[in-house]
Amino acid sequence: MKNTFYIALCTLLFSACIGDDIIMDRVEETLRITAQAASIAAGETFLFEARYTNNIGETEKGQVTWLSSDAAILSIDQDGLATAITQGVVIVSAEVTLEDGTILKEEMDVEVSMVTVEIELPTSRSGVIETTTFYDLEGDFTINAVDDDLVIEIADNYKASSALPGLYVYLTNNPNSINDALEIGEVEVFEGAHTYEIENVGLMDYDYILYFCKPFRVKVGDGEIE
Amino acid sequence: MKNILITLSFLFFSIALQAGGGWPQAKGKGYVKISEWWLIANQHYTDQGRIDPNLTNGLFNTTLYAEYGLTDRLTAIIYSPLFSRSYFNNEVSGTTGDILTEGEAINGIGDTDISLKYGLTKGKGIALAATITLGLPIGNDSGGSQGNLQTGDGEFNQLIQLDAGAGFPLGQTNGYANVYVGFNNRTNGFSDEFRYGFEAGINLFDNRLTAIARFIGVKSFRNGETAAESSNTSIFANNAEFFSFSPEIAWNFNENWGVAAGVGTALSGKIIYANPSYNVGVFFKW
Repeated sequence: MKNTFYIALCTLLFSACIGDDIIMDRVEETLRITAQAASIAAGETFLFEARYTNNIGETEKGQVTWLSSDAAILSIDQDGLATAITQGVVIVSAEVTLEDGTILKEEMDVEVSMVTVEIELPTSRSGVIETTTFYDLEGDFTINAVDDDLVIEIADNYKASSALPGLYVYLTNNPNSINDALEIGEVEVFEGAHTYEIENVGLMDYDYILYFCKPFRVKVGDGEIE
Repeated sequence: MKNILITLSFLFFSIALQAGGGWPQAKGKGYVKISEWWLIANQHYTDQGRIDPNLTNGLFNTTLYAEYGLTDRLTAIIYSPLFSRSYFNNEVSGTTGDILTEGEAINGIGDTDISLKYGLTKGKGIALAATITLGLPIGNDSGGSQGNLQTGDGEFNQLIQLDAGAGFPLGQTNGYANVYVGFNNRTNGFSDEFRYGFEAGINLFDNRLTAIARFIGVKSFRNGETAAESSNTSIFANNAEFFSFSPEIAWNFNENWGVAAGVGTALSGKIIYANPSYNVGVFFKW
């Protein structure tokens, strides 16, 4: 009996097993038309593009359904390639059917006319970094598109705690997780203005900047990119 | 977090496992304790002293603690985690159920302390003792794929400590109290530390049961590197501080054998886990 007790005790103490920590990583799905035209010349084509991120912020391709309100004026295939047929105005919509059956939709008016006018996307976005913990982290930032690259300018009102090892900065569509996030690099500046340059990333590809203690899996703060 | 936790966590529990205070062992006498100490932590004190959550870290130590009287004044002491296990849980998506980050674990020996305690007084009302401790960094300070699993902090401690203790009658029984202060010189970019503590104990049931209450504190001199300045993630234990309460009870089966159990919790702290730790052990004295 005594031996059984000691064996049970030892088993309990030495069998410290790896368990599961559940991360609340659900976010709202988003759909954004990222290449769009206000008007398309009759007889020409234009490739509409959209970005859909699912409920964990992952970008999913092939989920978007493209529709034209009047295919006699403008037709559009499922790749987003629109063909302007005759003058008029239509509504072009991008739709994604979510898991629960609801439809996420973005739409815009498109005129078929004599000229093609592409809508210029913004070249700059900005936001405010805020701590989500009891570690210091704050500051304004601006993200500028330069050709195919991004330049993130962190303002001089920025400061971050240097008490954490392995504090990294990411771009992500899910501020609760670094899963599927773009790792920019380890934080080396803890006060004042500085910049990050990122190659081959679009200005509209991500909606959050995220600060995360990588070795210990602790989110420190984030900033929504407005 | 870097070991956050671990280093100081080990500390305030290793201290709790010890005995002695201002009283060195008599020549040829000794005390040996084998114990299991564990901590499962999912929250920690930040550098601002506030509590934040963290990925669950489990720490398990099977430790040997022994004192032996080399002379009536000089006692040799060793504290060694003979088997140390550290792990991080899996990180699982609450939305999809997928594992986002696989948990990891390491096993090995932990950092070991060897000490010499010298009794400054003999047969006086207040027992004074000076102790020098060398903390040998023989544990693993950068295990796992992220280097965030440790069984040691990777630095060499040199601790000088002064204890003052006194025994006193307490009704039908007797008790004792002990205070200490210490200076811990640390290497490898770690800040030096001021350590202090107070404990009091009482013997009950014909000295069968000893109940002990310990308060232990560590203050950092903040003269080392910050976590961000070092490539060594174990530096995160740097500048950690705490004030802990660690009650313990010991039951003596006879004059030689006994068992003990205790709990330790940081009442306040910086860069240290906020969850309680536990220890159970069996001791032999002669």
